[in-house]
Amino acid sequence: MDILARIQAASITAPCLAPQHHHKHLQQLCFPMSTGHHFSCFYMHQNHFPVAMPGHPCRIPSGSIRCQSGAVEAPEMQDVKFSKSMLSFDMGKDRLSKVPASQIRNFSIIAHIDHGKSTLADKLLQVTGTVSDREMKEQFLDNMDLERERGITIKLQAARMRYVAKDGEPYCLNLIDTPGHVDFSYEVSRSLAACEGALLVVDASQGVEAQTLANVYLALENNLEIIPVLNKIDLPGADPERVRNEIEEIVGLDCSEAIFCSAKEGIGIQEILESIVAKVPPPKDTSMNPLRALIFDSYYDPYRGVIVYFRVVDGSIKIHDKIQFMASGKEYEVDELGVLSPGQMQVNELFAGEVGYLAASIRSVADARVGDTITSSANKAGMALSGYQEAVPMVFCGLFPVDADQFGELREALEKLQLNDAALKYEPESSSAMGFGFRCGFLGLLHMEIVQERLEREYGLNLITTAPSVVYRVQCADNTVVECSNPCELPEPGKRVWIEEPFVNIEMITPKEYIGTLMELAQERRGEFKEMKYITESRASVIYILPLAEMVGDFFDQLKSRSKGYASMEYSLSGYRKSDLVRLDILINGEPMDPLAAIVHKDKAFAVGRALTQKLKELIPRQMFKIPIQVTIGTRVIASESISAMRKDVLAKCYGGDISRKKKLLKKQAEGKKRMKSVGRVEVPQDAFMAVLRLEKEVV
Amino acid sequence: MEMDPGTFDKQTLKQFLGLGVNRVSLGVQSFNEDFLKACGRSHGLQDVYEALDIITGLNVSNWSLDLISSLPHQTLEHWEECLREAIGLSPAHVSVYDLQIEEGTKFGVWYKPGHHPLPDEDKSASFYRLASSLLREAGYEHYEISNYAKPGFQCRHNMVYWKNQPYYGFGLGATSYFNGKRFSRPRKLKGYADFVELCINQSSDNFSANEEYLSFYSNTVESVEDRVCDTIMLSLRLASGLNLNELSKNFGHELRVHICKSFLPFINSGHAVAVDSKFKTVPPDTFSTALSEQSASKVLKDVIFIRLTDPDGFLLSNEIISSLFTDLPIK
Repeated sequence: MDILARIQAASITAPCLAPQHHHKHLQQLCFPMSTGHHFSCFYMHQNHFPVAMPGHPCRIPSGSIRCQSGAVEAPEMQDVKFSKSMLSFDMGKDRLSKVPASQIRNFSIIAHIDHGKSTLADKLLQVTGTVSDREMKEQFLDNMDLERERGITIKLQAARMRYVAKDGEPYCLNLIDTPGHVDFSYEVSRSLAACEGALLVVDASQGVEAQTLANVYLALENNLEIIPVLNKIDLPGADPERVRNEIEEIVGLDCSEAIFCSAKEGIGIQEILESIVAKVPPPKDTSMNPLRALIFDSYYDPYRGVIVYFRVVDGSIKIHDKIQFMASGKEYEVDELGVLSPGQMQVNELFAGEVGYLAASIRSVADARVGDTITSSANKAGMALSGYQEAVPMVFCGLFPVDADQFGELREALEKLQLNDAALKYEPESSSAMGFGFRCGFLGLLHMEIVQERLEREYGLNLITTAPSVVYRVQCADNTVVECSNPCELPEPGKRVWIEEPFVNIEMITPKEYIGTLMELAQERRGEFKEMKYITESRASVIYILPLAEMVGDFFDQLKSRSKGYASMEYSLSGYRKSDLVRLDILINGEPMDPLAAIVHKDKAFAVGRALTQKLKELIPRQMFKIPIQVTIGTRVIASESISAMRKDVLAKCYGGDISRKKKLLKKQAEGKKRMKSVGRVEVPQDAFMAVLRLEKEVV
Repeated sequence: MEMDPGTFDKQTLKQFLGLGVNRVSLGVQSFNEDFLKACGRSHGLQDVYEALDIITGLNVSNWSLDLISSLPHQTLEHWEECLREAIGLSPAHVSVYDLQIEEGTKFGVWYKPGHHPLPDEDKSASFYRLASSLLREAGYEHYEISNYAKPGFQCRHNMVYWKNQPYYGFGLGATSYFNGKRFSRPRKLKGYADFVELCINQSSDNFSANEEYLSFYSNTVESVEDRVCDTIMLSLRLASGLNLNELSKNFGHELRVHICKSFLPFINSGHAVAVDSKFKTVPPDTFSTALSEQSASKVLKDVIFIRLTDPDGFLLSNEIISSLFTDLPIK
């Protein structure tokens, strides 16, 4: 077997079996052999189909395709040329066939977490032959490790399918996946803006949940045709009739033609496909207009530059076209153009109504931001597309590398993540105890955790994160208003007149037996009761207004655990209100620990203060001197503890045979010291920071 | 020679002495029957006194006695009794070891350091302090963290280790140290036999080739960093402390200044002392001022030794030594 064939074989078999991160081995394996070729396909971004797909021509290195076939000359889109020596099968090639705009359907699936969106998406891919049964990975669209583990979809992705409907006509269906979690409503709005229709998937036993509602409203705002689908009808607890009535009642949607489905069992899939063809309006054929394409996702590929996912709204785009990004003003030449099916497959040209991707050696992350409009340099559109809103971060925290040398790497990693994630904001921050890091803004707590985990997993960074904070508005004595998302930067008490904090309107949908416990939870979190109504006989919607700061902690976890997982929630910002807030400072041996400072409500200050001092006492090891730990509000100490001095740390014996071993022991102890953060003369273990920060998340 | 009570009679010892053995170190461990049992010794109190009779009966004046502190259920009163008994026997040398619980041993399974029935850290420290004060009162010099001797009776064998001087060790698993290399012989008899045979085959009369061959077995090639660490770790076990002149001679003047700086907080806190060429203590203020001045090098030349204080510095020696390691400028 020649080298090329071996690599090809490896790419087909190995990664299918290995978890995604093992793909790295393959990269290392291939690279030295690939002199003279760019096997960029092996380097596809981890989040975007890194797994080779047998039968998918997209796995052929794009560089070599162009090498061998020269310029792609054929006028028709299906003319993507593959070298015969590489792959003999090109099943599914016909889904690249051009169809008139009237036969294109762009749709997404909206659903509450766990209502079966991913399973349904998988089934649609299988039934249309886009992905064969054999190569079907479960939940194909949820590609990131993280998504798989958490069972949720974070980054949206797209898939082009070919479906020959009962009318005998071939249709091109573009499924654009949407994230399900409340933190990602911005991303949902992006994908919905690229569609004309949506499947509303509701679990036939669980019924309508808080997020179902939120996403339906987003879809209605985007004027989408909504097709109700009742999923999991095969389960014993399913009651599709009841749930159908529930949707009609709560959402106000006509459900007379709702489809009964079991994605798992393959029931109702054909009906769904027919319904998409029949009900979702085709995109307008505006191919003759100047190009306007909406970017709904993008990611960075180290070999091809930024890969942009877009929906062509007007006009057409061809390979080698000169394009311009209207917001950034930057111009590029299209190097590679293709569709997602669900792997990347190259084509020559895309027309109004189609969904695809492009690569144009875009090096700067800021040049092709999600939400921007692509137009043609030669024939510029008059106006950029609207409907995209800038994501506003709601939760902030400090991210610091444990190893100060990783600051540069952290900056690069954040730059790359930001490309995928327009909602991620960051700016440099430094603190005496933690060194240099970044203050980062997130859509919500889940978003924050995901970014942290991705930084650690994908970029190999070891991070310390401070407790999340919201944006406070401080009315100062000099009549200015200061916005503050970092407790350390809160103006001194003497300079403040009052502090306002963001409040959210929170809607919890719960079986009636948990109403009491959830109201208690909201009350504990300074919630103000607004309204309660029964949406069915057994389920109620409870609405509270409560401070966002109370929500960013473990509110969602509590809601889930107190309702045994049955309740769901959704929130939206309701505005700012004055609150009686104070800043707690933690002093260790008289030195303030900036990153541990927290803004809390006055009524909670004492309890939080006590909990924090106790935790620190437990976790800071004894040192050579006594260490006082204090929590203060301004200069007033509200809680204190002390760690008594270390009494004895000595090796009794050290003779000839012991020397190497004892030296190792002492060196290990020295290494431990290096990992500690010095606060004045006190060495604080990383763990203590982490634990206090976790505690703050819970109690603050 | 290390000997345990109950393992020899008068005849045996006499023969050993006849072979040239000039010092006996007796592993007494405790003068309390219960504690002897508790620390898993096979001998009883009776054996201890019989052994002592044999030693004194043969007029061995250079003998040493080992004691263990921080045994399960031990109280300060028990410990004082034990120390007084030892002092009453007037050995030339006393070794006092704090019980170290090693993982993988029976003790490691039964007990957790600092937790009942083992004494807590504070109590264990007070045992150490008591030993230091009682033995010093009785005329013993506390010359190493765990060792006390009447003048002239320091253990010459062990001083070689603490002064980081070269030595040979023979036998299964024995370690040697020469030419800056630490070397450990095979631990098992079969391996040892092979090793010896190879040595013979390699070169029976060419010592340097032999040594080269031995270096093949050396698992640690001591780097400069290792040698600095060895010097710090070992010399600070001794009451005499770290010899700065030797340090600069071996590793350069910069390291001397660097290490003095690392010592500053410990000198200020009373855990270490700087000593000048006349063996006078340099006051912390003088030391600190000397370090902060441009002419630091000149004043520091006067400081010849830095030693840990007894008992405060000795008790926290690991903490101090590991801090010095952390500060070392070498990677």
